[in-house]
Amino acid sequence: MEINIKNVSMTYPNGKQALKNLSLWLRSPSLVGLLGPNGAGKSTLMKLLSAALLPTSGVIEINGQPLPQAEKSLKARLGYLPQDFGLFDELTVEQFLEYMATLKGISSRGSTSSPSSAASHNTFASRHSTMSHHTTTVKDAIRAVNLEKNAKSRIRTLSGGQRQRTGIAQALLGSPDFLILDEPTVGLDPEERIRFRNLFSRAAQDRLVLLSTHIIEDVQSVCNQLIVMNHGKILFSGTPEELIQSASGHVGVFWEKEAQNNHTAPRPLCITEQPLHVTNQPLHVTNQTLHITARINTANGVRCRAVADTLPPFAQPEEPSLEDAYLYLISREVTQ
Amino acid sequence: MKSVRLLTLKILPPNRRHVFRDAPCARQTFADWWYTRPPGACRFTLKVPPPNRRHAFRDAPCARQTFMGRWNACPPGACRFTLELRRLLQSPLTWLTIFLTLLSPLAGLYIYQPASASTMHTMYLANPALAGGAAGGILFALLTVYELDRAGRSRMDVLVDAAVSPLTMALVRLLALAGAAILTLGAVMALWLPITAKLIGSVFHMEDYLLAYVIFMGLALPLSILAAASAFQFTRRADLSLAIFAAFAGLSLTVWSDRWQLCWLNPCVWALSDDFSNLRIFRSAAWMRMTWLGALTGIWILSWLSIRQYGKGLLGSLSQSLARNARLLYRPAAAFLLLVCSGTAFAAQPFVDQSNPDQTVMTFLEIPFLEGVSFLHRSVFVCPDTAAGTVAGKAIFQLQNHSGQTQTLAFGINPGYKISSVQANGRDASFSVSDDQEYNESLLQVTIPPAEDIELSIEYGGFPQEDSSMSAMQGRLEISDEYLCLENSVLSPRLMNVPPVNVPLKNVSAKDVPEAEYVPYPTTIEITLPAHMTVIPFSPSQPEKLAENTDGTITWRYEDSGTGGILYAGDYLRQDIEAGGLTIQLYYGRRHQAVMEAAGAAQAVKAVVDYCTEHYGPLSFGADGTLKLIQSRVSGGGYARNGASLLDEVDFTAANLDDAGKGTVPGEVMIHELVHQWWGLANMFDPASANDAWSAEGLTVYTTYRIVKELYGEDSSSSYARENYVKKWLQAVDDYQKNFYVRNPRYLAALPQKEQLNISNSLSYVRRYNEMPLKILKAEQLVGGEEAMDAILCDLFNRELDYTYPYLTYSDFLDACGLTEEELNLKKN
Repeated sequence: MEINIKNVSMTYPNGKQALKNLSLWLRSPSLVGLLGPNGAGKSTLMKLLSAALLPTSGVIEINGQPLPQAEKSLKARLGYLPQDFGLFDELTVEQFLEYMATLKGISSRGSTSSPSSAASHNTFASRHSTMSHHTTTVKDAIRAVNLEKNAKSRIRTLSGGQRQRTGIAQALLGSPDFLILDEPTVGLDPEERIRFRNLFSRAAQDRLVLLSTHIIEDVQSVCNQLIVMNHGKILFSGTPEELIQSASGHVGVFWEKEAQNNHTAPRPLCITEQPLHVTNQPLHVTNQTLHITARINTANGVRCRAVADTLPPFAQPEEPSLEDAYLYLISREVTQ
Repeated sequence: MKSVRLLTLKILPPNRRHVFRDAPCARQTFADWWYTRPPGACRFTLKVPPPNRRHAFRDAPCARQTFMGRWNACPPGACRFTLELRRLLQSPLTWLTIFLTLLSPLAGLYIYQPASASTMHTMYLANPALAGGAAGGILFALLTVYELDRAGRSRMDVLVDAAVSPLTMALVRLLALAGAAILTLGAVMALWLPITAKLIGSVFHMEDYLLAYVIFMGLALPLSILAAASAFQFTRRADLSLAIFAAFAGLSLTVWSDRWQLCWLNPCVWALSDDFSNLRIFRSAAWMRMTWLGALTGIWILSWLSIRQYGKGLLGSLSQSLARNARLLYRPAAAFLLLVCSGTAFAAQPFVDQSNPDQTVMTFLEIPFLEGVSFLHRSVFVCPDTAAGTVAGKAIFQLQNHSGQTQTLAFGINPGYKISSVQANGRDASFSVSDDQEYNESLLQVTIPPAEDIELSIEYGGFPQEDSSMSAMQGRLEISDEYLCLENSVLSPRLMNVPPVNVPLKNVSAKDVPEAEYVPYPTTIEITLPAHMTVIPFSPSQPEKLAENTDGTITWRYEDSGTGGILYAGDYLRQDIEAGGLTIQLYYGRRHQAVMEAAGAAQAVKAVVDYCTEHYGPLSFGADGTLKLIQSRVSGGGYARNGASLLDEVDFTAANLDDAGKGTVPGEVMIHELVHQWWGLANMFDPASANDAWSAEGLTVYTTYRIVKELYGEDSSSSYARENYVKKWLQAVDDYQKNFYVRNPRYLAALPQKEQLNISNSLSYVRRYNEMPLKILKAEQLVGGEEAMDAILCDLFNRELDYTYPYLTYSDFLDACGLTEEELNLKKN
């Protein structure tokens, strides 16, 4: 599957411009991580790719065909997990997935693979069968999200995490060629997060997966491509290694006390609890900007981690992590 | 099955055997393979039954799975509909809706009774079905709005829209709601069938039951669903949608309730017959339903195209829907076509005419007779199509034109008929049909040549229309193989401006000629009907069988007189009763046989005729010593003419006949109509005084009261007669005198003409049916009691007639009583 986004802009009826002349090329197999702060345009991009919106200008091509014409075939090959969604509470998990499978036309269309049973890909039955494929697909999806015990439970009785897993299961139904997952691991416990991370990684072996998340760990270990967005523009598109490389020499640690002793700088401010949210109050050090990304209380004082175009003398250079690199990228845009 | 398995094992390629061997359900996998096998994979196709045959599943350990597998391979649209319907049926609100709809016919038995007639089918079928339709429609509209709103409210639409187009999903939801409505209707019909059959009793008719529930109730549900869904799809707001639907339904239930084409939720049904068919009212209601179905489907398609997509508003979504694909232009085209079709169906409805609503206008009666043209004979050949409810006929008039000039004849024809041919002496004659309609007739004008002897042939036919003033009470012109009634211009064109034989009057019109002098319009009528139908001319004539046709029909012939004529036919039984020196031929529907026999109707008829003959004298209209007493299909009353009297079936219903409070006499309308044989045939009262309180009804109602009082016995029934006659007259007259428009006639004059007419007709009815009987009762007291009044009435009935003015006037009555008008004044001081 190949998606080509050409010079796409999107302005909402209220005048808010969510995307600005955005161009992007995505091709399967790939697991693409989509990063960016709130309001960056990630959700708008995903809505455009799921044909929930049409761009104000520009073109989105699906396998070379403009999206409006390719909408039906896109939806037939799309698994979509939005950030905010609802379920039919009166149905059981199995009934709900059967419902969604039917809407997707899985019973008649058949599938090419199953996310959780790669071993069955090459069997004669799974390649050619339409009979009972529906049921099999539903069971596969339930198994994939580890909801076998809740398959017969009414959705209204599920916990938040189980509902989220049900949502993931519906996206996985029929092994779609294109998976869009918006914050899929929200509400899941760490063990499940790791499990799903691996699941998405496996799924991306032969298809295109677009994963939007605030949790850097989720993308760090599994994505082979990262897209960083802010203010409706793409700041970076490449591999995680390339993003990390771009931050090399721009990450450092220092003692807060040492920084305060530096008279050229005002008192550093606390960062937010969200690790991905860089503080908007930069620390100015001799005409340069230092963005604190972490602040740890230790027995010897407060140890700070920061990114900057040029590190101040009191900061010791550190090997950047993906989170550092992401924050460095965003901080540069904030500074500019 | 054994051979199948053996053969399967034989031909399988080695690399595929493990698939079947290891599969949890070997036959299922085999079936998979069967449907996807490569061409030429096997050569035993003819020998091995395909696995979708029933026996292939019968012995399979996982037969159900295999069947479900087949089911799941259904087309996507059908699968989506099935799944959505199943999902809908999982919702508690759906079940609440279904449960309440199941109970809703109960409202028709106790609360909501729009059909006013008292036949068993009206009370226990029409009203429950109408109530079920109104309540069920509203309930399903609420369910529709809830379900459509719910997807967005619960954010479920985000998932669904990513899987399938919102338009597709809206269609699937609509069909699922319609499917639920159909299932509900089936359940309602199954539940209410035994109840209705028990309530209606021996006259219960299954065909009527099915049609009533499907048309009166069933079609209300999809209409409501379409209306509610359209409102929601346009507005995307549940509250606004409910308000719009409430206004739309409210209009139907109130302002439009007596406008048969507009009351989409509650069809204008006033009666269903027990004894005869009801096809005409079913056709009419179905026409209205289909008109609205077309209109609402068209509106729904437009709203469907406006479903919000791609983050756009109403117009943006609509334009996007239209602009995406030129091939999809058929969608708005279909909506437009449906709206045009329904508009056409509304404007060109075939059931009701466009008669002048002002019933005081009688211009057709004022057309002057032609000079030099006289009537010799009329022959009518009628062939009703009892399946289609239509009539085809040919009328041949033998005339003489002494004028030596072309003349223009005027006929009244039913507005529903088309004239296909008019020939005078074998040549086409020019004719025109005017758009002016009066009293359910159009004016047909035919020009005849100046020849002395004229044979005028008119071929006509079509679906007869009913009078627009009675549009809320349709069904009178029922034509089926169970019943038909062809009256005057429905039977054949009615000649209006040629005097009867031997009455070549100058400067007079039809209105000026007493009915007795119309007798010389000799007529022969031939009618072809299914063999089981009994032909009953509404005249002294007795039909004779002319031919038994090969198609199972019989052609009948009878002689008649007059320019019109009335003919009844149907599945009738006849009972001859000797009473009052006459042979009464009592005709009633075969369905009603058990009820009539149980009620002893024949004895009751005998008692009434004997009473009237004894008190007032023998009937002067009993033709050849016979009187036909014909039970008609429910018609809201009856009428009488020389040799025949009509009785509405309403008075013969089991409920009415079993009413212990009324004694053993089967219904007072029967008595009333019989009394018209003594008081009230057209030549007794001047028909010109349309608004006069003095008419045939005053004396007839008074006499009916007297008969009821006497027949029911002095102790019990005198109170019954007082309660049901005198007190009702007093109440009605009191209401009349207090009526705002009676006290302030200038405000009546300020109303729109139609309203004026409605009020005037209503007030006129009170004066004739209530005020005048009360005045006669007052006269009875003033002249010395019942015996004195009986003597006066007997003298009036047997008085010497002045044939130049044979009418019995109010002055005649006052003079006979020796009273003045002021003495009978009822106004309170």
